[in-house]
Amino acid sequence: MKSRLMMKLFIGSEAFFFLSLIVAYLYFWRSAHFTQEALHYLNVKLSGVYTALLLLSSGSLVLAENRQRKRAWRSAHFWLAITIVLGCIFIAGQAHEYLTLISEDLTLGSSEFGSGFFTLTGFHGLHVVAGLVLLAILLGLLLKGHLKKEDALRTAGMYWHFVDAVWLCVFTLIYVLPHYLSL
Amino acid sequence: MMKQWTHIPEPEEQLPDAATERGLLMWLSSVDHKQLGIMYLLASLLFFLLGGLLVLFMRTQLAIAENDFLSPEVYNQFFTMHGTTMIFFVLTPAFLGMGVYLVPLMIGANEMAFPRLNAFSFWMALFGGLLLYFSFLTEGAPDAGWFNYAPLNESNYSTEGIHYYCMGLLLGGIGTVGTAINLIVTILHMRVPGMGYRQMPLFVWMMLVTAFLILAAFPSLNAALAMLLLDRLLHAHFFVTANGGSALLWQHLFWLFGHPEVYILILPAFGIFSEVFQVFSRKPIFGYGFVVASGIAIALLAFGVWVHHMFTTGLGNTVNAFFAASSLLIGVPTGVKIFNWLGTMYKGSIRLSVSMLFAVAFLIEFTIGGLSGISFAIVPIDWQLTDSYYVVAHLHFVFVGGSLFGVFSGLFYWFPKMSGRMLSERLGRWFFWLFVIGFNLTFLIQHVLGMMGMPRRVYTYPQLPYFTLFNFLSTAGAFIMALAVLTLLYNIWRSLRKGEPAGADPWDAYTLEWHAAAPPLLKNFERLPPVRSARPLFDLKHPEQADWKKQEG
Amino acid sequence: MLTPASEQAERIATLTNYFFVAAAAILLVVTLLTIIFLVKYRAKPGDNTLPPKIFRSRKAELFIVGIPLALVSFFFVLTLRDMRALEPGADTQHPDVIITGHQWWWQADYPGTGVVAANEIHLPVGRKVLMRLRSADVIHDWWVPELGNKMDLIPGRSNHLWLTIRKPGVYEGACSEFCGQQHAWMRIRVVAQTESEYKAWLAAHAAPAIAPAGELAQRGATVFQEKTCGNCHRIAGTEAKGDAGPDLTHLSSRKTLLAGLMDNTAPNLGRWLNHPQQIKPGAYMPDFLLKPSEREALVAYLVQLK
Repeated sequence: MKSRLMMKLFIGSEAFFFLSLIVAYLYFWRSAHFTQEALHYLNVKLSGVYTALLLLSSGSLVLAENRQRKRAWRSAHFWLAITIVLGCIFIAGQAHEYLTLISEDLTLGSSEFGSGFFTLTGFHGLHVVAGLVLLAILLGLLLKGHLKKEDALRTAGMYWHFVDAVWLCVFTLIYVLPHYLSL
Repeated sequence: MMKQWTHIPEPEEQLPDAATERGLLMWLSSVDHKQLGIMYLLASLLFFLLGGLLVLFMRTQLAIAENDFLSPEVYNQFFTMHGTTMIFFVLTPAFLGMGVYLVPLMIGANEMAFPRLNAFSFWMALFGGLLLYFSFLTEGAPDAGWFNYAPLNESNYSTEGIHYYCMGLLLGGIGTVGTAINLIVTILHMRVPGMGYRQMPLFVWMMLVTAFLILAAFPSLNAALAMLLLDRLLHAHFFVTANGGSALLWQHLFWLFGHPEVYILILPAFGIFSEVFQVFSRKPIFGYGFVVASGIAIALLAFGVWVHHMFTTGLGNTVNAFFAASSLLIGVPTGVKIFNWLGTMYKGSIRLSVSMLFAVAFLIEFTIGGLSGISFAIVPIDWQLTDSYYVVAHLHFVFVGGSLFGVFSGLFYWFPKMSGRMLSERLGRWFFWLFVIGFNLTFLIQHVLGMMGMPRRVYTYPQLPYFTLFNFLSTAGAFIMALAVLTLLYNIWRSLRKGEPAGADPWDAYTLEWHAAAPPLLKNFERLPPVRSARPLFDLKHPEQADWKKQEG
Repeated sequence: MLTPASEQAERIATLTNYFFVAAAAILLVVTLLTIIFLVKYRAKPGDNTLPPKIFRSRKAELFIVGIPLALVSFFFVLTLRDMRALEPGADTQHPDVIITGHQWWWQADYPGTGVVAANEIHLPVGRKVLMRLRSADVIHDWWVPELGNKMDLIPGRSNHLWLTIRKPGVYEGACSEFCGQQHAWMRIRVVAQTESEYKAWLAAHAAPAIAPAGELAQRGATVFQEKTCGNCHRIAGTEAKGDAGPDLTHLSSRKTLLAGLMDNTAPNLGRWLNHPQQIKPGAYMPDFLLKPSEREALVAYLVQLK
């Protein structure tokens, strides 16, 4: 109970953090070439695939929680591992995208779009990495049989779902909206 | 039907605790909320002395016109460090420290909800503050003011100290958010059975509201600091106006944090005074629900007033009118509390201890500060007076006459509980009168200086009529305050060595912390009296006139 | 703001007076109640009877919310009224003067006349003047207390301000937003003149600089050129066309140097040129290590730029 309330409060606070970054991103939307750059540099299809994988990871985590509650340990291990693998693929995809963009000379310092893009997606990426570390620790504990209470996995799950939800907002804002909207 | 005493069970899980005698190491490794609370207060005191020392240099520089005691470079670093220190590393940890120390005791709990998180948060905040001061060892401390406006905060206009400002405040911010989460969970989950929301002490209520304010306000500061660091270290464009960045975005994000921060620093003081007025008037608070409700109203409105710091940035009349309305409105719940406290004194039996003296002085000083605050909500007056010495006077009346008086009042009130010894009331009176006289001498006259045209944050001023006289008086006041602080330090030192033993309940007080030993044992409570009103100890001592009888009957 | 000299400042002063009366009344009530309660309800030694409990009073609560609400509503209406009167609104296409804030001096351009002045800003009295405010580097803030509201100068934005000065005179002000090391010495002098004097001043300052007369001043002009002073400063009618530092075309017509730091005299000018960083540390003026003879010539040249 206490830990889940703590996680809710933490998530609430984090939501305000991302809101500030999103506001900053929107603030610069009207600067010159902002939408054009978004359309030119970003590959919405490829990122869409990674987005789908990240969403799937939320599903697999729910399955893991479910299995753990039913004390089906082996299948809980399996789904938790799947979640971690999917998260890693997402991060690898983001790393690959960053390298491509940097090779095309889009950096934090190249334009307002660059600043906004790397900051927002970068901070989200950091949160995914933190979530992966958390899940990996839980998997380790689970494998050793030290994690009998459901609370830990459910609490970590709340964080993971939150990070997913943030990505949906960020993805829509950065990758999808420029195709429909030019401020 | 009589309610039963509550027996507090042993903790389920043994924490690394302070039971063993390990000297300094015991403190360093402690997760006990009382030790952490005291460490918070000591950290706050350390930074208070540093920040105070800086201001003595500044006031010396300003004592006469065109003085060259400090170079502009040094002066600008000093005033930036003074403001940043006092707000982030003196007042914030002082209130968090009192919260961490007192909240479990007041709600009848033996620990915070997350003792390890408690320790983590404290050390983060402390290291944040120390990191800020390391900047003096580099090419220079931060020199762009405590609100660090863009683009002056960018590399080409300011010192490397700004890096330390960002990092120090980020660490401090993480610690503050951690403690806020901890306080909320503790208050919501760990109250002794019987203590509903209507039986919670007002200090606990105000800490709860403050903690929620922290959760919502600090993230926008953290985001702004992160963006500024990216600008300075990785050449991002957020606030670099020469490259298409925005000077106003920083102000929006900063004040979206900054104005709630003002309430983060005053609501706990309101809580402290609410306890002090009750105990030293020997009456329950006048309008308990009213004090709580206005506290919540302040917290909600606090997020809708930030633009009143930006009335001179030319955002236009529509925006200004909206924020003028909200800023005027927030004055109402803040102002009415004054009458709750006056109502508590009314027909009471007032004992003028030092703690109560500060509370009474606060009534008047905070009214002055609150009223001068209202003048900034009236946009045309703001257009004249903002960023002048009038603002300097206003914010010190609020932060010193409000928040700091709260800390002092709480210190004299709870010191016997924390240390087991009384502070000397006689020395305390010396401290009180010196400090209040010095404070008013310093800051009342600054209202006039502002109206005469003295801008804030100037390292010197030309020889204009009365400028030297008024500034000299102001400087004299600052030194009287410094003298007062010396008497306080002596008082604490003397009391710790040979102060009169306090006993568990020296003030004949009402809330549960006075039921614990003085100082409390590692396990605060073995058993607690039934809680049926906001004054459980009053009910215990006067069963015939218990508060709950009136409320239920 | 204690001695308002413009229509706008008078308006604000009136509003401020209303506010101070209301504020003083509230402060008086609180102070009196505090003192009366302290005297009347002070515990008597040895008296241990419990005072009566008063938990709440609906009537009092209505009262203590109602009165402040009424007061702030009253001031909100006044705020709206005066804001509308003070803000320039939409029609800001043709400013009379464009002020640009620099670290740490003021540049004043008078559109349509070619006049560029610094730190001493001449304005006409008796009519509404529109000022446009911009910044070349960081945020500055225009504040002349006797003339009314302040307004920020923000890089990347243009702000506007109306001024209707009542009577001729010199009005002192200063930058009011912290803008770096020499924020203290970024003072303003507004010289308010009658329309005819103002016109005459504009005409005189539209003229190019006087050619140096006398051998020393001519040598000074050469030094000015050799030391590349013209990269940063402008002197109309010569090669010097820089715009990073103050315009020097009519330097000698100003009363002060360095945005109010010292009187505009030949010895002061010499001291400044000798060691700029000692006079105004942090200023962007480099030390050119002038020989005494060069300095003397340069001063002679500059003081005759009337």
